[in-house]
Amino acid sequence: MQADRPISPSQLSIKDLPWQIDWNKDKCTLCGQCTTVCPVKAIELGVFRKREIKVDLFNPGENKSGTTVYYGISQKTQPEFSCIGCGMCTLVCPNNAIIPMHSDEPDKLRYHSNTGGVPRKRGGRRNSVPGILDRIKFIRISMLTDPALDAGRHEFEVKTLLGRILPPEQSIDFQKKNGWMPPVREIYPLIIGGMSFGALSPPMWEGLQMGVAYLNEELNMPVRICTGEGGCPPRLLRSRFLQYVILQIASGYFGWDEIIHAIPEMKVDPCAIEIKYGQGAKPGDGGLLMWHKVNRLISQIRGVPERISLPSPPTHQTKYSIEEAVAKMIQSLSMAWGFRVPVYPKISATSTALAVMNNLTRNPYAGGLSIDGEDGGTGAAFDVSMNHMGHPIASSIRDCYSNLVKVGKQNEIPLFAGGGVGKNGNLAANAASLIMLGASGVQIGKYAMQAAAGCLGSETDRCNICNIGQCPKGITSQDPRLYRRLDPEKVAERLVDLYVSFDVELRKILAPLGRSTTLPIGMSDALGIDDEAAAKRLGIQYVV
Amino acid sequence: MSLDNYFIIKGEDESGLRLESRVLEENIQNAVEAGKRNLRVYASGQHAIGGRLWKAGSEKINVQIFGSSGQRVGCFGFPNTYIEVNGPASDDVGWLNAGAEIVVKGNAGNGVCNAMAQGKVMIAGNIGSRGMTMTKHNPRFEPPELWVLGSTGDYFGEFMAGGKAVICGYNPGDKENILGYRPLVGMVGGKVFFRGKIKGYSSADAKLRNINDKEWEWLELNLKNFLEKIDKKEILNELLKKEDWQLIEAKSPGEKKNGKRRSMKHFIEHVWDKELGKGGLIGDLEEVDRTPVPVIATGQWRRFVPLWENKKYMAPCQGACPSGIPVQERWRLIREGKMDEAVELALDYTPFPAAVCGYLCPNLCMDACTKKINSLPAVDIKELGKASIGAETPVCELKDDYKKIAVIGGGPGGISAAWQLRMKGHDAVIFDIEKELGGKISSVIPNSRIPKDILDAELLRIKKLIPHVQMEKRIDKNTFEDLKNNYDYVIIATGTVKPRIPLVKGNERIVSSLEFLRNAKNEKINPFKNIVVIGGGNVGCDVATEAKRLGASNITIIDIQKPAAFGVEREDAEKAGAVFKWPCFTKEVTKKGILLESGEFLDADMVVAAIGDETDLSFLPENIETEKGLIKTDKFGRTSDFFVFAAGDVVKPGLLTDAIGAARKAVEAIDSDCLGIDPEEDIREVIDTSRVSLAYFDPRKTGYSGVKDCGDQCASCGTCRDCSICVTICPRGAISRIDKGDNSFEYIADPDKCIGCGFCAEACPCGIWVMAPNTSLS
Repeated sequence: MQADRPISPSQLSIKDLPWQIDWNKDKCTLCGQCTTVCPVKAIELGVFRKREIKVDLFNPGENKSGTTVYYGISQKTQPEFSCIGCGMCTLVCPNNAIIPMHSDEPDKLRYHSNTGGVPRKRGGRRNSVPGILDRIKFIRISMLTDPALDAGRHEFEVKTLLGRILPPEQSIDFQKKNGWMPPVREIYPLIIGGMSFGALSPPMWEGLQMGVAYLNEELNMPVRICTGEGGCPPRLLRSRFLQYVILQIASGYFGWDEIIHAIPEMKVDPCAIEIKYGQGAKPGDGGLLMWHKVNRLISQIRGVPERISLPSPPTHQTKYSIEEAVAKMIQSLSMAWGFRVPVYPKISATSTALAVMNNLTRNPYAGGLSIDGEDGGTGAAFDVSMNHMGHPIASSIRDCYSNLVKVGKQNEIPLFAGGGVGKNGNLAANAASLIMLGASGVQIGKYAMQAAAGCLGSETDRCNICNIGQCPKGITSQDPRLYRRLDPEKVAERLVDLYVSFDVELRKILAPLGRSTTLPIGMSDALGIDDEAAAKRLGIQYVV
Repeated sequence: MSLDNYFIIKGEDESGLRLESRVLEENIQNAVEAGKRNLRVYASGQHAIGGRLWKAGSEKINVQIFGSSGQRVGCFGFPNTYIEVNGPASDDVGWLNAGAEIVVKGNAGNGVCNAMAQGKVMIAGNIGSRGMTMTKHNPRFEPPELWVLGSTGDYFGEFMAGGKAVICGYNPGDKENILGYRPLVGMVGGKVFFRGKIKGYSSADAKLRNINDKEWEWLELNLKNFLEKIDKKEILNELLKKEDWQLIEAKSPGEKKNGKRRSMKHFIEHVWDKELGKGGLIGDLEEVDRTPVPVIATGQWRRFVPLWENKKYMAPCQGACPSGIPVQERWRLIREGKMDEAVELALDYTPFPAAVCGYLCPNLCMDACTKKINSLPAVDIKELGKASIGAETPVCELKDDYKKIAVIGGGPGGISAAWQLRMKGHDAVIFDIEKELGGKISSVIPNSRIPKDILDAELLRIKKLIPHVQMEKRIDKNTFEDLKNNYDYVIIATGTVKPRIPLVKGNERIVSSLEFLRNAKNEKINPFKNIVVIGGGNVGCDVATEAKRLGASNITIIDIQKPAAFGVEREDAEKAGAVFKWPCFTKEVTKKGILLESGEFLDADMVVAAIGDETDLSFLPENIETEKGLIKTDKFGRTSDFFVFAAGDVVKPGLLTDAIGAARKAVEAIDSDCLGIDPEEDIREVIDTSRVSLAYFDPRKTGYSGVKDCGDQCASCGTCRDCSICVTICPRGAISRIDKGDNSFEYIADPDKCIGCGFCAEACPCGIWVMAPNTSLS
């Protein structure tokens, strides 16, 4: 800013920003690549003056004051141009002359990112690094007490069941009386959770789908992926790859007429139908795909006109009670595929999750329950929803599982846990913890973006601009200039790497427990934590 | 060897009780220490018989085991030891064998040769699971060998790191699978020769290949030895069929790395796109090209593109000038050494480039100067204004379809109107009530503000261009009607001519500022000592300054509110010793002075009212609308009578430059009427000054040394100064200057080289380059 001008309350300096550009004049070649790549135009060429003074005490006539102009990289301080710390500048710098550094104290920008009274919105996850899942340890290392298994040597059946599993006698009874049994799928316990076509760019969405198809058909891993709420490309609906896909229906019902039209032409049934009632990252809030993202392609897949904003309300409009909401939706969607496809709801983790689950136990058509915890990711939400709303997944899944045990229906209704699984990179350990707390499987989203596409977002508020369509990696953008940076083939390759390595790591955890043919769902005696209160709450051992 | 040559060691005591393994081991070790070299052990299931016999040194030891041999026969076996189990053996035969030769004349249990490093183990039957696991090959020694006549159990050869295993498949446990379930997981070294069918092995770790001649030679030779050891010489020929044998060996680390996963590229081409169709997932909805584009890209892949917006925006100086003079364009001409052109350019906009711009105008252009943002001095237009005195009179000729226009008022507005009309080839006649042309500039404004010779010179130039001037001509309703009838248009620029006098007792004693200044200028004022000026505006200040010149000793300026005077006028009044008093409400004017409402009395032998002047619109016909004593017009000065225009104070009181500009607009409208077009207007927005880079200017510069210096120091906001900094700064060499031949030029950025970094836009001193989002691709 100009020093001779009055300041406004929102006048910030670089010191006040969360990310500060550290630029090295000596190394910089002024190649222009950093300013070219910056997704938010936080940096620009700066024209600087340098004053040079030469004095001679004994010959004052020779005293000189001169100035020279030099160029460099200058960081802007306006809130709308503040550096997001993505580090793309560092990535493209040929001389390592530039890097965003995190402020050494809480920034001042947070008090000003509400210009015009509009609170901050962003993408990413809750800005909180620690997580209870990372503190859980697997303390039961069988060795001599159980048949010891070797992760590298033994064969493992790392599979789980999705669908309503009735006990044998009830099952036979059911078949006799109804001539029908609930459909059940045997799937890999690590599911790619719902991320819509629209929230994700075309290469990202296709790359994930390709990777899933590869895992199924080349590596025999029955991995499943959920579409999210944005419809499903017509070709996929009519291909055999549909069997790897969980179709999601949510309050916006986008793309569902295309799905209905495709039913008569489907070669295979989809894996399952997920009814989304809530999202862990922004519980109780809906979604909005801004009009500028609704291009021709998105409009075709979602079945809407081009360039209009697409709101998904927080609730389904025609539901008035939980009984009705669940029963009605499950019935309708089961009917569409002749009751051959498991249908289950997805809710955000909440202190009322038990009410939903108890309701499901009384409904034999309910194929499971997916719970999404507070650390889940999103493409766009209010900062306040992301940071302060929601419930941790660990205790929510534990409560539900414990209650199933109480009513004698554990493993009859599979629970799926999501929301921050692997947020600190410990994917297999987090997944195993949740499984041993009672989940039949886990869902990931953000992790797949980070591992398969190089997403730069973090819980220290790095990048997190998924909402503005300027994703520097092309993951969440609908602008070909950005999304063509992403090669779907490479995304698919990375996804395969992710799954194969996850599989090895999961076996490393399961083998010492002596489990190879069934997942240790609810095997909480194997878990310990160094926090007495958490141990008590989760019903696991307190270890120090 | 006869029985007598053997030392007998029994596994039971005399009473038939089984000896502990510890005791039997002690007995065996004692016998060896005592020099016994041939032992017959009648075992009772004792642990690890026959190992650890190093006390014999290099002498051979022969251990014959009868009975139940127990687990881990030959455990930690030494190279001097030969062990023969005369019957089947339990688990872990040859465990961690370090050199012993162990022959089992029957089947063996699980874990045969586990962790064996040297020696040979020969089994005359089948073995259980996990045989030959974790075996080693220490380069100091020969590799260990396992010979099995029959088949192996499950998980054979796990983590095998060395050694040779020969599985003959003779009377196997399972003819369909002689190596059991999942053999060779984790195999990293060694070789497995086998004869017969198998059901797979860990292909991630091991590979199948043909046996070469050297290996076959070894196998032939040693097979014979093996069969002799287990008393099966007779089947040698049956086993010696090379085609029945196969070899598995460990993959090298390199081979493991290049696993035979299908490449994703291949998968996409042959599976994905084949099932979905060309273009994959969305190939039916749009043209799909999946090849990635670089992060730093050119052409259509740039996110932002530079635009050279030369003269798209108006400079702030021009935007601020009511006369609309392109100030910065004049500085450009000066920079280019075209002084005459710079001066003449002003004449297109004003007939008073010297008197007004150089002396009388408060110079709003300088207030708006971008350089002031950085506390730099504004480029000094006064210098250029003063230098404009020598401007030649333009040569104007009447055009064929010229119009005759009557201009009422010979002040700055009227002169500007007539001037512009003449410049556009029309005939203009000025009518004025005064003797002298120039209105208040000539008659009222003190000579201290505007030197007489300057004004005279400028008026002379004006008179040359405007030959038809009728002075001392009063216009009333009738004459106005005549003008309307005899002329195509009438322009009213009569200004404000009626002084306002406060309505207080004794106001007949008050002299109006108009009268005072006019008389002062003509030196027609009687001497006075104490003067009170009512009204603290700039005119009041002029009165005060003139009063001082005329010898007044006490000068007081009173106002009902904080005096509004500013600039040079106020400074001069203060220099003249004027005292500003406020708030003061005049109650009465007497012979001796002014009585204020407050009761205070100010001595005065001269009281001047400088509270503004009013229009005199008595000549105006009723069809011309007025409001609060001012004529209502549109933005071009057209009144409610289509052929009558008004400009200057008669429309809206303002500065001289306001009147000059308003008159120019009126003429623009009249000329456009003649041409049948809409009047031209420069509606360009004023440039956003943040685009201009002031870092190039020295903040220590406090003033300018002349017009040349001013020209150089002008920031040239919005107009390219042709400095080529953009060409120099562009990191890709994308920008070039195009000489368009007609003395004009253009800078262009080559899209095939430009990456859209924005350096040109930031470096540009004049704010010409701007980065715009590239055209949408989706």
